[in-house]
Amino acid sequence: METGIVIVGVGGQGVLTLARWLGEAAMAEGYDVRIAEVHGMSQRGGSVEVHVRIGREVYAPIVEEGGADFVIALEALEALRAYRYLKPNGILVVNKRIIQPPGKWYNLNDTLDAIRRSGIKTYIVPCYDIALELGSVLYENSVMLGFVSKLLGLSMPPSLDENNRKAFLRGMSLI
Amino acid sequence: MRLLLLGNEALAYGSLAAGVAVATAYPGTPSTEVLETLEEFKDRFVYWAANEKTAFELSYGAALAGARALVAMKHVGLNVASDPLHSAAYTGVEGGFLIITADDPWMYSSQNEQDTRWYGLQAYIPVLEPSNPVEAYKMAKDGFALSEKLKHPVMLRSVTRVSHVRAPVEIEHPAPPKWGRFTKDVKRFCLVPTNARERKKALLEKWEKIQDIASEYIQTEGSGDVFIVTSGVAYNYVKEAVRRLNIKAVIVKLGIVVPTPRKVADIVDKSAVVVEEGDPVLELQLRSLGISTRGKLNGYFPKFGELDINKVAMGIAKAVGVPYNPPQPPRPPLEPPPRPPVLCPGCPHMATFYILKVATAGLNPVWSGDIGCYSLGINMGQQDVITHMGSSVGLGSGITVAGRHFVVATIGDSTFYHAALPQLIDVVGKSIPILIVVMDNSYTAMTGGQPSPSRFLPAEKITEALGLPTFVIDPVDVKRSIEIVKKAVEIVKNGKPAVVISRRPCVLMAIRKARRLGVQIPKYQVDLEKCKSCGLCYNLLKCSAISKRPDGKAYVDPALCVGCGVCAEVCPFNAFKLEGRKEIWLEIWKQA
Repeated sequence: METGIVIVGVGGQGVLTLARWLGEAAMAEGYDVRIAEVHGMSQRGGSVEVHVRIGREVYAPIVEEGGADFVIALEALEALRAYRYLKPNGILVVNKRIIQPPGKWYNLNDTLDAIRRSGIKTYIVPCYDIALELGSVLYENSVMLGFVSKLLGLSMPPSLDENNRKAFLRGMSLI
Repeated sequence: MRLLLLGNEALAYGSLAAGVAVATAYPGTPSTEVLETLEEFKDRFVYWAANEKTAFELSYGAALAGARALVAMKHVGLNVASDPLHSAAYTGVEGGFLIITADDPWMYSSQNEQDTRWYGLQAYIPVLEPSNPVEAYKMAKDGFALSEKLKHPVMLRSVTRVSHVRAPVEIEHPAPPKWGRFTKDVKRFCLVPTNARERKKALLEKWEKIQDIASEYIQTEGSGDVFIVTSGVAYNYVKEAVRRLNIKAVIVKLGIVVPTPRKVADIVDKSAVVVEEGDPVLELQLRSLGISTRGKLNGYFPKFGELDINKVAMGIAKAVGVPYNPPQPPRPPLEPPPRPPVLCPGCPHMATFYILKVATAGLNPVWSGDIGCYSLGINMGQQDVITHMGSSVGLGSGITVAGRHFVVATIGDSTFYHAALPQLIDVVGKSIPILIVVMDNSYTAMTGGQPSPSRFLPAEKITEALGLPTFVIDPVDVKRSIEIVKKAVEIVKNGKPAVVISRRPCVLMAIRKARRLGVQIPKYQVDLEKCKSCGLCYNLLKCSAISKRPDGKAYVDPALCVGCGVCAEVCPFNAFKLEGRKEIWLEIWKQA
C-alpha cells in the first residue's frame, strides 16, 4: 500500500496535530511515513495544508496535484482549494463547517451541495457539531481522526488523552 | 528509541548526540524548532539571541575556545550574520562549530528565496545537505566531528521540506556537553591584514583538502547509462521519479555540495542530469569540473519554487527522451475564495492598527512596515513597504528624508531589538521626524512565541535614554490610546521623532495560560436589533472573527472570538454584547 493524503483547514483548527496523529498510527503499524508541514505565516488564520505519505518505502514528502488518494478537509472552503490534489478515484472527507473568509459570505449547505454533486466520492462529517457537544471546538480534529482512521484501517494513535479518545471513538462510530 | 521527528528536531537530537554545549539562534521559519528542542536540555547553554549576528558570535566564540557549538537561523538570517561568517573560515575553530541554515523555497513565510549554499562557496565553508530527517540527525552528529577534524566551521543547509517534514528517526542518548578553554594564538585569531593574508593562503590549501573529503559523502546507487547527480531534498523526488518513469539510471547523491568533489567527474560519463533544490549551485560547479549538464541552467527543471515528484519526473523524462504523462488535477466545483493569513482574532496589533488609523486620519501616512505578525497589517492597507528585518525604521527614515511624507514605522518588539537599535541613533542624530510604533506583544510571535528581550528590557528604557519622546499605550483600551497617540502625532508634525509603545501580550500565549488555569474566555455576540450594518467592525477594524452577513449586519463566529472587546469599543451603536466575564481574563492576558 502507498497512500497520499492531503489534510487542510484553517490556521488554529489543529491540522498539524491531526496529521501527526495519523502519522503516529501508521508508524505504529510498521509503515514508513513522511509528513510535510507548513509553519509560520499559514498558521495565522490562513489556509493550512499538510501532506502525509504512508507506505513501505516513502521518499518524497509532498503529494503532487492529481496524486492524492484522500483529501481531508477540516473546513469546507479549504476542501475546494485542495480539490486539485485528488486522483480521479480519490476520496474527499469534509468537516461540516465553514469559517468565513474575509469579504464574501459563503453558505455552508450550498457549498457542501456543490461538493456532493462534483462526482468525487465524498463523506461529509459533522466534526464541529460533535466537538461542541463534547464541550469544546478543540476536539474537532480528533473526531475527524476517528472517522478517517476507520476509513484508512488504522488504529487509535497511542498519544491521545482521555477527552480526545472520546472524540476519536465518536468519529469512528460515524461510519 | 524511534520517534516521529521533524527534521529540525532531528538536527537537535543529532547535535545532542555529538555533545553540543552551546546553542544559539534567532527564531525564523523554517529553522525555529532546532533551538526549541534544545531548550529542554538545561545542562547546556541554549539562548535566543537578539539577532543572527549576535547568535553567531556567541557560538563562534565558544567554538574558538574549543566547545562544541551550533547556531541556527533561516536563510535570510545568514545575511545578518554574514560578517562574522566570512571571518570564521579564516580563523577556523577548535571545537566543532555547526552553522544550521534553513532555506524556504517557494517562500512559504519569507521575503526571498535565497540559496544559502552560495555563502558556503563565497566564505569557503563546506555545506552538508541532508535529504530527510534521518539524514538530518546523522549529518548534524557527523558535522561536529567533521568540523573538529578540519578545525573549520561546517554549514548544514536544510530546506522547508527537510526541516518541517516528520519521519521515523532512531535516536541515541545525548552525549555530555563538551565545553572548552580558550588558548591564545594571535597569529591565527587576530585578523589584522598581515595575519589575514597568511590565513587566506592556509584557507585555500584547506579548501583543496575539504574538496577531497567531500568525496567520502558521495552515495551511488542503481545502474544504467544515465547519470543523475542530486543532493538534499531533491534526492527523494529523483528516487520516486526514476521508479515512476521505469528507467535505468545511476543516482549519484552528494552529501557535501559545497565544495563539489572532483571525484564526481570520474563517476559520471562526461554528462549528467542535475536535480537540486534552489539555485544551480551544484550544476555550476559540475560544469567547472568539465561535466556537461542538463539541469536548471538549460531549463530542464524550474528555476524557482520547490520541486515535487512531477516536476522532477518531467525534467528527467525530457532529459533522457522518454514519454511521461503527468497526472491531471481535477477542477473544484466552485472556485475557492482567497484566504490570506490575517491577524488572529483578539491580536493586539489589530487594535493598534485601528488606533493608528484613527489618530493619523487626514495625514495620509506612508506605512513603513517590518517582518513579523504586524506585516499582516497589509490586509488593512497599513503596510506600504516591507523588505527585511528593520526595514520599518531604516527605510521609513529614508522615505521621510526624501519627501515630505508623514511616515509611521511599525515594528515588533523582537524585531526592534534585532534590527532597530543602531537605526534609532541615526533617527536621533538627524532628528528625523518619523513616528516609530513598537508593537510590543512580549514574544517573537509569528514563529510560535519565543521570548523577546522586551521581557527583561522594556523598549521605553531605550528610547527614553536616547531622548526620544515616548508614549506607552494598552491597545485594548482603544479610546484612551487614540488620545495619547494623537500627542505623538503632533510632535512628528512639528518636525521631531516620537515613539509609541503599544503593549499587550500575544493573545495566543494568553489563551494557553487561561486554559492552564481553567479560566473561561468570554465571548461577544451581535445584537441584531442594535447592529446598523455600518461595517466599522468588519471593514475598518477587520477582526477576523467578525464577518459581514448577507444582510450587511455583523456576525461573530463563536469558535473564533476571544473576548478582547475591541469591537465593543469601536461600535457606535453598542451592538456587541458580552457573554461571560471579562476582568479576570484581561488580567491573565496582561500578565501572559
